[in-house]
Amino acid sequence: MNRNFAHRLRPALGLATAFTIAAFPGCASAAGVTAGTVIQNIATATFTSGASSGTVQSNTVSVKVDELLDVAVAGLTVAPVPTGSTSAVLSYSVTNTGNGSEAFRILVDPAVAGNQFDATIQTIAIDTNGNSTYDPGVDQILANGTATPAIAADGSLRLFAIVNLPASATDGQNSQIRLTAEAVTGIGTPGTSFAGQGAGGGDAVVGASGASASGLDAIVASLAGVALTKSAVLVDQFGGAQPVPGAVITYSLVATVSGTGQAESLHVTDAIPAGTTYQAGTLKLQGAALTDASDGDQGVASASGIDVNLGTVTGGNTRTVSFDVKIN
Amino acid sequence: MKAFRILGLAGALFAAVTATGAMAQTAQPVELKGDVKIDRLVTENGAARHVLSEPEVVVPGDRLIFSTAYRNAGAAAVRNFVVTNPVPEGVMLAPEGAGTLEVSVDGGKNWGKLAVLALANGQGGTRPAQSSDVTHLRWMLSTLAPGAQGTLTYNAIVR
Repeated sequence: MNRNFAHRLRPALGLATAFTIAAFPGCASAAGVTAGTVIQNIATATFTSGASSGTVQSNTVSVKVDELLDVAVAGLTVAPVPTGSTSAVLSYSVTNTGNGSEAFRILVDPAVAGNQFDATIQTIAIDTNGNSTYDPGVDQILANGTATPAIAADGSLRLFAIVNLPASATDGQNSQIRLTAEAVTGIGTPGTSFAGQGAGGGDAVVGASGASASGLDAIVASLAGVALTKSAVLVDQFGGAQPVPGAVITYSLVATVSGTGQAESLHVTDAIPAGTTYQAGTLKLQGAALTDASDGDQGVASASGIDVNLGTVTGGNTRTVSFDVKIN
Repeated sequence: MKAFRILGLAGALFAAVTATGAMAQTAQPVELKGDVKIDRLVTENGAARHVLSEPEVVVPGDRLIFSTAYRNAGAAAVRNFVVTNPVPEGVMLAPEGAGTLEVSVDGGKNWGKLAVLALANGQGGTRPAQSSDVTHLRWMLSTLAPGAQGTLTYNAIVR
């Protein structure tokens, strides 16, 4: 009876497109009609018999829609994330493509075939506040192999995998990290059903995805190598180049940083050779003088040695440190 | 099993409705009995065939066959026999065979074969109606002789 009433109301809504949407609220989702929905069919007949007319209704035929277990996972990181000494944050989306509320078990696997190294999984987190950025202390941490909170049908969740480079990785090597989501109710070949375990009180049936899906993100090792070369130029007090007492030796230390990454906290240190004396005020970086004192600039020099703090130097750069000593 | 439980409940409701109806007028000469089966394509030895079964497990995309069996249980002929069936929420009329049915895409206001019906396209014009737009089905039989019976069916797809 209610059905007929509802349908009579519809034409009053006017445009056909408007009522199509209104008539099937359960099908607004791409995943299909919501699990637990009861489909009810009633036929009505009208007729005349002699002088009288009659109406008769059929019984109501009801079918409850069961839960379809389906999921899609996508790696959201477009290009491999360059990773050095700090960890990389990888993003994945897990979408419940089924028709009922479902939680998904999350497994992050760094051992993907073809990897040049396997990353270390540090943390798995849910983008709890939905800002697409990993916020430590805010975003809910998920242990590997545990389940997300229930995701509504057609709903999506962003997950982060925070990974570190292993010591074995060398510059430029690639590695993929796979995130797999499995329906907590169950996985299996499409069509496998779990009696009475569906959202909405029906059964749960494995959909085309097998109720399990995975996505890949990648990192690329971004490391730096440092080479140091030392050279000396000797000038004696007679205009020649003889190592006699009083001759001055200018030492040059060239630090060459290679690779795609960066060298951090890079220091160039050297001891003053025995039998020589450091010449005060001769310490230079890239040809510019540094004071000997430990102060605002990057260099310190004393009778025992020199120390220049180069800080962070990215690959492809060189830094030249020089200082003078006099032969005793 | 759950489908039967719900059916039983609906049956009781139906009985109550007809009982009140009977007080107002004479017993209905025509009986309608609805049923539903799930239509699965089963491939055996490389050959696909349709298998109809009770809809124990139904998910979006499944095909259902709704049927209404009618019978003139009275002693007199019944004329102008028209069976109307709103397409239930959650399913749509399957495209296969939809063209031969008399349908409405506007809640039962206008009727015809699907090919001649149109809908507003939301941009001031119209577009041809599709099977998924069908809101109601109708079968018109001129006369049912006493004892005459038959079954009306339509194929639906769970949305």
